[in-house]
Amino acid sequence: MKRCLTLILAMVMLSSLFLSATAQEDTSLKDILDNGKLILGLDASFPPMGFVDADTGEIVGFDIDLAREVCARLGVELVTQPIDWAAKEMELNAHHIDCIWNGMTITPDRLENMSISLPYLRNDQVLVTRTEDGYGNLSDLAGKKLGIQAGSSANDALDAAEDFKASLGEVVPFDENLTALMDLNQGGLDMVLVDVIVANYYMAVNDYPFTVLDESLAPEEYGIGFRRGDTALCNKVNELLLDMREDGTLAKISEEWFGKDITIIGEAE
Amino acid sequence: MKYFNNPDRLVSLLWQLWQGLGVTMSLFGFTLLFSLPLGLALALLRMSRHKALRLPVQLFILVMRGTPLILQVFTVYFVLPMIFGAAFERLTAVVIAFVMNYAAYFAEIYRGGVQAVPVGQREAAHVLGFARSQAFMRIILPQVIKRIVLPVSNEVITLVKDTALVTAVGMVELYRVARNAASTVGSLEPLFIAGAVYLLINAVVSFLFNRVNRYFSYYQG
Repeated sequence: MKRCLTLILAMVMLSSLFLSATAQEDTSLKDILDNGKLILGLDASFPPMGFVDADTGEIVGFDIDLAREVCARLGVELVTQPIDWAAKEMELNAHHIDCIWNGMTITPDRLENMSISLPYLRNDQVLVTRTEDGYGNLSDLAGKKLGIQAGSSANDALDAAEDFKASLGEVVPFDENLTALMDLNQGGLDMVLVDVIVANYYMAVNDYPFTVLDESLAPEEYGIGFRRGDTALCNKVNELLLDMREDGTLAKISEEWFGKDITIIGEAE
Repeated sequence: MKYFNNPDRLVSLLWQLWQGLGVTMSLFGFTLLFSLPLGLALALLRMSRHKALRLPVQLFILVMRGTPLILQVFTVYFVLPMIFGAAFERLTAVVIAFVMNYAAYFAEIYRGGVQAVPVGQREAAHVLGFARSQAFMRIILPQVIKRIVLPVSNEVITLVKDTALVTAVGMVELYRVARNAASTVGSLEPLFIAGAVYLLINAVVSFLFNRVNRYFSYYQG
């Protein structure tokens, strides 16, 4: 009897979860304002978007500065919560975080699973190779070994480029771009498929003898991911970002991190 | 070398590692605190004469030892909130998962320790008029403790290193601090510095267990 009751209770709770996702009104913006804080989920190992500063130990980055400004305009506190990138959708759906704001590429799959802001930055998935190998274009890479960060949008870009993927010898998944690039440097890989922003950062930090191929796989855009259905919050953030473009704040933050304004918010798609 | 010629940065890293170490040690401490006694309870149930007590525990131990700990961490942190509605704090969730997992291992270590005591002693205690529970507490258990010191030390040392698994649910502990720093500076140095910290902790753990082992070795010179 007791077990039966527990079962029924569990089912009721489960169904109420699904119901609440569809039937309830969207309180996402109100919840954030009531709580007085926005919990931003990030894989804190993604320079220069969001990472741990080596000298201060603080979480910093372009995305963090952007989010801090948005939060200031919302009148709430910004809380950064490191997460594992592969678990980001789960973190969001379990309400452990309010948004994913960490150089997240907008992909069709993610659009299905989240409410995503307007694109705010353009990114390319580029192929990094050793300069000494002298590869010039994609066809030179047939049968070669490619390294990639597991769970990153580089995977989607690779899947989309079917012919190129089929031509490769092997695809090796890594937890982090850094380890993939290190493996490339020591000859374990022939190329790494990675965000151009990340590639530029590591090539600047470590002066690796690498060359980025001109031919890139897919032009992409970064967006901020919210829980699916949190439209009110998503729209409000869009509105604030557009304001920030108008008054020059966005350009200023971009110049601090990239030396120029590379943001694209509000541009025609 | 990105750290050893940059003392300020090294100090900053050590400070961050120290904070991460706090999380690592809380997980380590809470896990031992709860799993050691829970393991004993499980061991007793596992040895019960009643099938209704024995079989569920047997199944529990099978599942806990037979599935990846990282999956158990995921289950407690992401799946239970879906069923019960409320999410656990990160630390609470991982402590629950670690306690269940380690209690299962400890239970089997305890059971092995109990079974290593010859049956004759129990029979002798019975003849001398000891109740079963009395014989267990006064005669069996003290011998079990000295026999399980070394197998338990193995588990404790493994636990120190297993704490790094909780990066999967976004906990910023020792290993994650090092990984983040590695991403920033573009070198694995911070990971090796963290490795030295794990080694240091386990050196202390080994030293303590050696002391305990010597304390109980009163029949061996």
